[in-house]
Amino acid sequence: MDERIYEMFRDIGRDLYVAGLVSSHGGNLSIRLGDRLIIKRRGAMLGRLKPHDLIETGIEKNDSGVMLASTELLVHRTIYRMTPALAIVHCHPRTAIAFSLSRDEIIPIDNEASYLLKKVPVLVEEFASGTPEMANKLATALQQYKIVMLRGHGSFAIGQTMDEAFQWSSILEESCQIALAAKLINEPFIEYRGMTTEYARW
Amino acid sequence: MHGWTGKILEIDLTQRKVTTRALDMDIARLFLGGRGLGARLLWDEVGATVEPLAPENVLIFAVGPLTATGYQTSNRFTVSTKSPLTGTILDANSGGYWGMQFKRAGYDALIVRGRAETPVYIEIKPDGVAIHDAQHLWGQRVRATTQILGQNNNKRNVLCIGPAGENLSRIAAIMNDGARALARGGPGAVMGSKNLKAIVVEGKERPEILDQELFKFMLYETRKLLRASPLTSQALPEFGTAVLINIINAIGALPTRNFQQSQFENAEAISGEMLTEKHLVKNAACWACPIACTRISKTDRVEGEGPEFETTWAFGAQCGIDDLAAIIEANALCNDLGFDTISAGSTIACAMELTERGLLDSDLRFGRADVLAPTLEAMAARRGLGDDLAEGSARLARKYGAPELSMSVKGLEMPAYDPRGMQGQGLLYATSNRGACHMRGNMLSLEVLGLPKLIDRFQVQGKAAFVALHQNSAAVIDSLVLCKFTNLAVAEEYFARALSAVTGIRYATGELIRVGERVWNLERLYNLREGFTRADDTLPPRLLNQAVTDGPSKGWVSHLQPMLQEYYRVRGWDENGVPRLSKLKELGLDGLR
Repeated sequence: MDERIYEMFRDIGRDLYVAGLVSSHGGNLSIRLGDRLIIKRRGAMLGRLKPHDLIETGIEKNDSGVMLASTELLVHRTIYRMTPALAIVHCHPRTAIAFSLSRDEIIPIDNEASYLLKKVPVLVEEFASGTPEMANKLATALQQYKIVMLRGHGSFAIGQTMDEAFQWSSILEESCQIALAAKLINEPFIEYRGMTTEYARW
Repeated sequence: MHGWTGKILEIDLTQRKVTTRALDMDIARLFLGGRGLGARLLWDEVGATVEPLAPENVLIFAVGPLTATGYQTSNRFTVSTKSPLTGTILDANSGGYWGMQFKRAGYDALIVRGRAETPVYIEIKPDGVAIHDAQHLWGQRVRATTQILGQNNNKRNVLCIGPAGENLSRIAAIMNDGARALARGGPGAVMGSKNLKAIVVEGKERPEILDQELFKFMLYETRKLLRASPLTSQALPEFGTAVLINIINAIGALPTRNFQQSQFENAEAISGEMLTEKHLVKNAACWACPIACTRISKTDRVEGEGPEFETTWAFGAQCGIDDLAAIIEANALCNDLGFDTISAGSTIACAMELTERGLLDSDLRFGRADVLAPTLEAMAARRGLGDDLAEGSARLARKYGAPELSMSVKGLEMPAYDPRGMQGQGLLYATSNRGACHMRGNMLSLEVLGLPKLIDRFQVQGKAAFVALHQNSAAVIDSLVLCKFTNLAVAEEYFARALSAVTGIRYATGELIRVGERVWNLERLYNLREGFTRADDTLPPRLLNQAVTDGPSKGWVSHLQPMLQEYYRVRGWDENGVPRLSKLKELGLDGLR
């Protein structure tokens, strides 16, 4: 495997942990290489990835790699089958998860997330991990959005590159922290953007 | 119906017959318009036995569902045909006004068939279509033809060929609005072979938009992104596309003297910065474009549009020439004669190397700016050596015994990026359906500009997936039809929503990219039907075997083979580059195999 691929997993995995976007063993990352994917090993710590923590397996076909791959492999495969994604970042942004518990969509109020995300839908699935229903629902939403939330669970972001998907994840959590802080300040919101009523239709 | 007019105009020049037919809306939803619609129509119209310059070949001019809506850069249109240069499927596109005007005349596409007995031009107006005699125009250059036929910015627009097309040069462009080109692959020769000098359009109806509020929002958000990006709000407006000269040269990927070197020692002298400082008169823009990258430049002898980055390179570094005024004049002459500037410059560069190696007896030598204008004139008139050069570099190099000196893929001359310094770009060239092309995907963004994120330009593993994705994206942008420069700041998710607003048909971003994949695979099927094989997905041997000798790309060759193998897997094709049935079924193309 190209050394640069490992370095990318290692650095972004570390950043996710340090930023508090995942717990010690939570979240996962993958990239697409043609009809193959590389994904984090099941149970590996994102903040401490070693070369042997990167597992390669097929997108369509099973091989021995599935013994070792993340439990979210099915979701990643389905997303690669159904969307143009070349990279996926799944993490557990705490504030965004908190907002997902009471909203069907997260519409940012800060400038950067308004500019880049417009709206993040919140999906609901009773079994929030590893089921075909959840995988299909997520992949369908990711045909339209670059990042979506799964209620009470976390975010799934796609990109051409892993750092692009990381960027959407990072921006979402920052945006939710700002929204939370604004709620705590509890003063009337002064609109500073244009055409924001259309965000709900994004 | 919104987004499409629902009408295809058909003109048979042999029978001088004009008809219209309904656009098949199932095809429209699957292929959108422009390049995609053109490819789908061409599949039925022009089979493998048809010679590109025979009357049985057709020209398909097409616009897309966003054309003329006022969405940013919704001015473009395409021409599709079988290429006389490469024998592949061909589409070329252009901006300006003509495409917008054609849509307003009430059509999604125009199919031109047959061959007129004597030169003619077509006039398309809201109250009817006429075929007029054009013998008085035959032999006229592009600028004169455009003026005579009454070009009037956004009211009446002229598309025509110059002497290069009339004389069936295989690198002849079709020109519109005076100086814009449907350039690559020789569509001008197909038009010349039909004795068709020009097509004039006058439109009337502005297309209706189904969801006005959403459309306004998309205009607003798109404008925000175009303004925020330094590329679309500063670099392109201030310096034009030639802003890339210094950037590409700095990384050691600016092909020089027919790709013998990868850096040009005098790049600064032909840079976008120098063009702005010494020769820029003003900016200009296509219809509905806020970027305004067009240069109006002048020298002591000429004033006109351009030159673009590729042209500056083709007559500059590629020919070892650092005289920017001579490059501007060569560009103006190509526009007036109706040549593809990339192929013209690169074919001259090929002749320069043939000469320096003693294989050709000519005065064409690297660095000689004085030979450009007379050589182009001779090419357009097919006079002397010009007759050979008018055939393009592949036929030229073959005739003089050194086919490896044509820097082309499938016969189409490569643009201004050395694949040894941009590995993904090499795969892009090798697999491009119309031959080597930088507009069939955008590895420049990923490997150099860092859009959306920078990936290592020398990395080989994993590159194929990026190339395929960007090829799909380019195909859909060409089918909408929009300018690819918007995509430097605006992602496909915006185009999908703009399309949904106009048509009322909800397109998810992923579905839109899937349209591009469908178009790409259809084009591949077309080329396979023409007899192209895996062996044609390659690069000139120089790029595969001779390492760059100096500069930031020193020591590199193109590592094409491993990328190509990965590419076929990414595409769902077999090891011979043939789309698998499962892939065709997925794309709804299985009925065409």
